Amino acid sequence: MSKVLMTGSEAAALGAKLANIEVLSYYPITPAFPAMERLSKYIDDGELNCGFIRAESDHSALAAVLGASLAGARSYTVTNSQGLLLMTEVVYHAAGLRQPIVMAVANRAISAPHSRFPEQGDAVSQGASGWIQLFCENNQEVLDSTIQAFRIAEELRTPVMVNYEGYIQSHTSEEVEIPAADKVTKFLPLKRMAALDVKNPQGVNTVTSPDFYMDYKYRQNEAMEKALTFIPEVTQAYNTEFGRDSIGNLETYKMEDAEHVIVAMGSIVSTVRQFVDAQRQQGKKIGLVKLKTWRPFPGQELYAVLKNAKFITVLDKNIVFGVGGALATDIKAAFYGNSDMVINGFIIGLGGAKSGIEQIKQAVESTESSEQRNSTLWIGM
Amino acid sequence: MNVKINLDQLPKEELFGQGNVGCKGCGGAIAGRQAMKVLGERTIITIPASCMATLGGNNRHTTWKIPFYHTLFECAPAISSGIRAALEAQGIKDVNVVSWGGDAGSADIGFQSLTGAAERNEDLFHVCYDNEMYMNTGGQTSSQTPYSALTTNCTVNGKKTNKKNMLKIMEAHDIGYVACASIAYPADLMAKFKKASSRKGFSYIHVLAPCFKGWGIPSDQTVEFARKAVESGLWELFEVEDGVRTRNYEPKLIPVKEYLTPQKRFSKITAQEIEDLQQQVNTRYGKVGK
Repeated sequence: MSKVLMTGSEAAALGAKLANIEVLSYYPITPAFPAMERLSKYIDDGELNCGFIRAESDHSALAAVLGASLAGARSYTVTNSQGLLLMTEVVYHAAGLRQPIVMAVANRAISAPHSRFPEQGDAVSQGASGWIQLFCENNQEVLDSTIQAFRIAEELRTPVMVNYEGYIQSHTSEEVEIPAADKVTKFLPLKRMAALDVKNPQGVNTVTSPDFYMDYKYRQNEAMEKALTFIPEVTQAYNTEFGRDSIGNLETYKMEDAEHVIVAMGSIVSTVRQFVDAQRQQGKKIGLVKLKTWRPFPGQELYAVLKNAKFITVLDKNIVFGVGGALATDIKAAFYGNSDMVINGFIIGLGGAKSGIEQIKQAVESTESSEQRNSTLWIGM
Repeated sequence: MNVKINLDQLPKEELFGQGNVGCKGCGGAIAGRQAMKVLGERTIITIPASCMATLGGNNRHTTWKIPFYHTLFECAPAISSGIRAALEAQGIKDVNVVSWGGDAGSADIGFQSLTGAAERNEDLFHVCYDNEMYMNTGGQTSSQTPYSALTTNCTVNGKKTNKKNMLKIMEAHDIGYVACASIAYPADLMAKFKKASSRKGFSYIHVLAPCFKGWGIPSDQTVEFARKAVESGLWELFEVEDGVRTRNYEPKLIPVKEYLTPQKRFSKITAQEIEDLQQQVNTRYGKVGK
């Protein structure tokens, strides 16, 4: 493997190229556009043999990719924030049709008020859509997850969203190890399942009666639940093949004897690592659980690693209005009845607001000192 | 390109229609049956929300004998663009890729993806089967509802704005082929589908397909009113092929009121409005007087 400096956008584009995508469509938006432009350049330079549909909207971009997938092609798109929201109808529809589309999302805050800065609210808004959602901490994970996403999607017939944060990742360079192209091709054998095939005509999305509808939804959810065991299998196979150390659904960091654990996903995890390292040097029994798979939600797996903690600080770069942070809400629901630990959720870094060591420290101290248990607090106001 | 259709020599096989659950006398289903006679089995059709999307199948049954996909409302031409790209990626040739919307799925909620696909000159064609109102939701006003027609949300004096001219709009895209047809003239309609399917690039066909319920006419008069629309000169059968405009049929020019007044949807049209429409027809066909 060779190591190269690249942005998250470049890592996403390279992952899609190594996966030999056959059809690409997108509608330009900030900060996802560098990944789009990189992919178009691969095509224009003859480095990637891929059909491109220059869509006139984000809705049409995902629709075009969906049409391509239904006709049997490996298909890919990129978007974020308003683009993802405009796509929402197609997002749900594609999941219901069980199409193995992979979509990169360069997470950005949602309007209003207008903001072009990082936050995970866009992806969180799609949490009930039936897409598998992976959150990447760094650009290496963007590349690895993109490749793995195709294998996960095609095996489970379920679309996968690969999330990386706008600017913090999309426009920031890090060292990334690049797997060999021929090995990736071998890792991702193309298993076509064209629903729209003139040799085998079928009606797709016909009017469905209540008994059939519920059965379809049961099977859709079954595939999502299967992903909880399948994702770690894929990452294991990937690590074996490429000599990497990518994680399954979650990663534990300095968790031995930890009394206080921070749970987070996305780029903030790297900052939390630094905070935990510093706190450990001062003798504090603190650890970190990084969540990579947010949908499906690995509640049992999380409980297994967190059950001995006294305090849990959950960092959410999103807000579900009137409820709290999505990750904290999911953890509390998953742990219900099994635990008397303190689980405090923190809303942090919305619309690019500061989410550094100082803000994380405030959150941790608040969890231990606050009389409010299992509450939601806003940090960095 | 000159295409002649001999109705006696059409294939007997029905690729669409047998066992469809459309109303008896459905103009959309008639259009579908006629189109499939010339498109053949190597055709993939996408249909956004509309009567046509729902009457062709339910649960595990379908009357379509070709790949059929009931798409979301706004995006059939975008979906079809993706299908064409996927076929090309796999080297699958000689397949007609068709998106088929109602007036809503073409001219209104579906217009953005239609204009996008036309501008990109995608190798597919879009059909607007026009019944001039939103019949799948009970008959509300669309941009294709003509002036003075009553609908379920324009119930007093009828619509007081003009029908949006989709053919002019699609012509303005400078695509290779734009055509206007009526289900009452099957040989003409089929010739237009044949042309669109044999061309590379984007084509647009606008088909008058009356809905007897929405129009307030007897169910056995669907074709008759699709004919009267043409014979009165209100619906012109024409095509624009590579920029050359051809009128495909010279109508008898029966008085427009013979088309309008028997329809319940025009029960509030005024004598002056009828006269204005007659004058427009007279001007278009170069006729002096009435």
